[in-house]
Amino acid sequence: MTRTAAFLAAAGLFVAQPVLNGPALAQTDYPSRPIEMIVTFGPGGGADLMGRQLARLLTNELGVSIPVSNVAGASGNAGLTRLATSAPDGYTIGTLIALTVSSWAGGLGDVSPEDFHVVAVVQSSPGFIFVPAASPHQTAEALFDHARENPGALRVATSGYGTMDDVTLQLLAQAGIEMTNVPFEAPSERYAAPLGGHSDAIYEEPGDVAQFIEAGQLVPVVVFAAERHPDFPDVPTAAELGLDIAELDIFRSIAVPAGTPDEIVARLEEAVVTAVASDEWQAFCQQTYTCIEPVTGEAAQEMVTGFHDLIARQLQN
Amino acid sequence: MGTFELLAGGLQNAFALGAFLTIVIGLMVGVIAGALPGISFVNAMAIALPFTYVMTPTQAMLFLGGIYVGGVFGGSISSIMINVPGTPASLPACWDGYPMTRRGEVRRAISIAVTASATGGLASALLLTFGAAPFASFALRFSQPEFFAATVLGLISVIAIAKDRPAVSLLSMLLGIVVGTVGVDSTYGVPRFTFGVPALQSGIDFTVVMIGLFAVSEVIDLLATNRDLRPKKTAGQGLPIRFRDIWDIRGAIARGAGLGCIIGVVPGAGATPAAVIAYGIERQASPRGREFGTGVESGLAAPEAAKNATTGAAMIPLLTLGIPGSAATAIMLAAMMLHGVNPGPMLFLTDPTMIYTIFVAMIVANLLMIGAGIGVAQFFSTLMRTPPAVLAAFIVVLSVVGAYGVRNNIFDVYVCLAFGVLGWVMKRTGFPSAPLVLGVILGPLAERYFMTSLASSGGDWTVFFTRPISGTILLLAFLFAVWSLYPSIKGALANFRASREAEHGSRN
Repeated sequence: MTRTAAFLAAAGLFVAQPVLNGPALAQTDYPSRPIEMIVTFGPGGGADLMGRQLARLLTNELGVSIPVSNVAGASGNAGLTRLATSAPDGYTIGTLIALTVSSWAGGLGDVSPEDFHVVAVVQSSPGFIFVPAASPHQTAEALFDHARENPGALRVATSGYGTMDDVTLQLLAQAGIEMTNVPFEAPSERYAAPLGGHSDAIYEEPGDVAQFIEAGQLVPVVVFAAERHPDFPDVPTAAELGLDIAELDIFRSIAVPAGTPDEIVARLEEAVVTAVASDEWQAFCQQTYTCIEPVTGEAAQEMVTGFHDLIARQLQN
Repeated sequence: MGTFELLAGGLQNAFALGAFLTIVIGLMVGVIAGALPGISFVNAMAIALPFTYVMTPTQAMLFLGGIYVGGVFGGSISSIMINVPGTPASLPACWDGYPMTRRGEVRRAISIAVTASATGGLASALLLTFGAAPFASFALRFSQPEFFAATVLGLISVIAIAKDRPAVSLLSMLLGIVVGTVGVDSTYGVPRFTFGVPALQSGIDFTVVMIGLFAVSEVIDLLATNRDLRPKKTAGQGLPIRFRDIWDIRGAIARGAGLGCIIGVVPGAGATPAAVIAYGIERQASPRGREFGTGVESGLAAPEAAKNATTGAAMIPLLTLGIPGSAATAIMLAAMMLHGVNPGPMLFLTDPTMIYTIFVAMIVANLLMIGAGIGVAQFFSTLMRTPPAVLAAFIVVLSVVGAYGVRNNIFDVYVCLAFGVLGWVMKRTGFPSAPLVLGVILGPLAERYFMTSLASSGGDWTVFFTRPISGTILLLAFLFAVWSLYPSIKGALANFRASREAEHGSRN
């Protein structure tokens, strides 16, 4: 019901586009006042770090200040509802990340991919399975063999049910590798679980557990991507192990409400692409293993929609 | 390098003029923000985060650490002076601190609170400095069943803090747990009690409930009763504090500090449960337990020591494991990551100087806090001479800003105002509101830990009893409940026996 209403509103904005474009065309001086950056999670997480870094670098590019507000709640949906209902004038931008998109497929939130214009996907990382250093299964083969022989005995710490973590485990189970999903809402507790020996493995992107990888406390055993990760050349892909699990990359993007005039989106896009090319950003994304060539325009929008459809399809099975 | 060489280096760095000033400024910002009703130290740290961009990573940590230490104490200033907790963790300071103010002993109450807080904070800063590594591995032994057991202990302590009607307190707490279930459940992502309102999907934040129930309701009460806040003796005077006074409550401070260190080191719990549990335990342990709530010194000191003892302890998992256990330490993590520093075991190898500078800064901050606390308290004492109408307006503005600031969400402001009205009705009818807030804080935590424990054990609920740490905590919780209810049980038994005997007597 609310979703239909939101869709109608979005459609309405599309129809109204030519009218809105009229005054917007004259607005060539964008941006002329501060832009609000809505970070859809609380301080300290991956989305927060991305939003703050980008806000800082965009300030140089756009010449206006970009204050960050953390609007946390409901897997990022509280902030996105706020973003979707803001004026589509480019003065409100926000973070849109894979976890929130997967939550829509589970029925959460009252927005859909059509409510947003994705400016650019700036960070992305494939998911890995890590095992603690003390684990008896130090390779994916050993881990998966154990899971095949003892279905459900191995416990994998994840970010929750209905997420890309869950979908990955479901796909593994369909291939005969059944492991128990142990959902941890709080990231700190999720990382503590394998370190303290309370779970046998953890599904995560490498950037969020970088300090544990460097210290040798967590060992990556498999990457769910088409190709091996350049930073982890020794870690086999799922495909090499005969499993067709990829395209569930954990991405982070910057979005504006649907109906934002094209030239404003283009200005933002240009600024984001320049910011992402800066040394500062490159150092940041290398530290978090999330460097990608920014995905913009239609491709960015398709990435979000495609991810949403994939998760929705898998959850229905 | 040996520990002491590193400490000496840290000492030198922390006392460099720039670093020292950063600590002092952080501390002052923290105490003031904490003391303002509605603005919590977490708010203040989030607002301060952008200012740390221009600092060095170490300086950023000193600044945020100062705000953290000062803010956790600062909340008690308004608890004691105007019965409005500045932060959730300062709730217990209202119970025995405000009655002291009403007796005209405001200065004494503040001195006791600041001394207890600083002692607790210092104890945990020393623990952080010398015991970080072993305590970090101790924290890792806690898993979801243990967290669940600890949360149950927190919920049980509500019975202990209930003055004389455990059943009513229990009802209030259950109401709080129901409020805590509103929103998207954390396990399956199912919206509960949202009635189709999207804003309710984010749930009801306990800080917002707390501001409503205690700050807004106090304003309504203040205006409705036209009460004068001026204590019998003029503010700023009161009884001076003597060393003897502190020495007499050394047991309470030690118990509170110990408890706070243990609770703080475990990720997830934090200052509020520590303060409440400490109050509950102190009420049982103190020979003056029955007088608690009327302005007993040890009832003020124990929770004060406990909540500040969580500050240093909470930084142990952050610095040694890279795991932030609370909202405040998550902000510190963000500050470090934004500077390209990954906290965790590697940091001890790559940059031990930074770690030891932070250690020394935490010790220094707790020592300086005594001065900062008393200074700010002096300034705030003018609040009590302010006409109630002016003060009320001031509190309402801060409450609205604070409720909005929790998540930058206007809906939270409406929730806060609604709880303000509810809180006033509860106050008028004598229905306790503190257990409700604890229900909102601990209910969702208990649920989350319970569900994750079951997911991990494959639905086997005996894990709570068979795991040694979890089983022990649950046993302690049970004994604590029996111990707290003992007077009521004894009373009921005596009544029963008396009625039996009366029956007997009438038959003869």
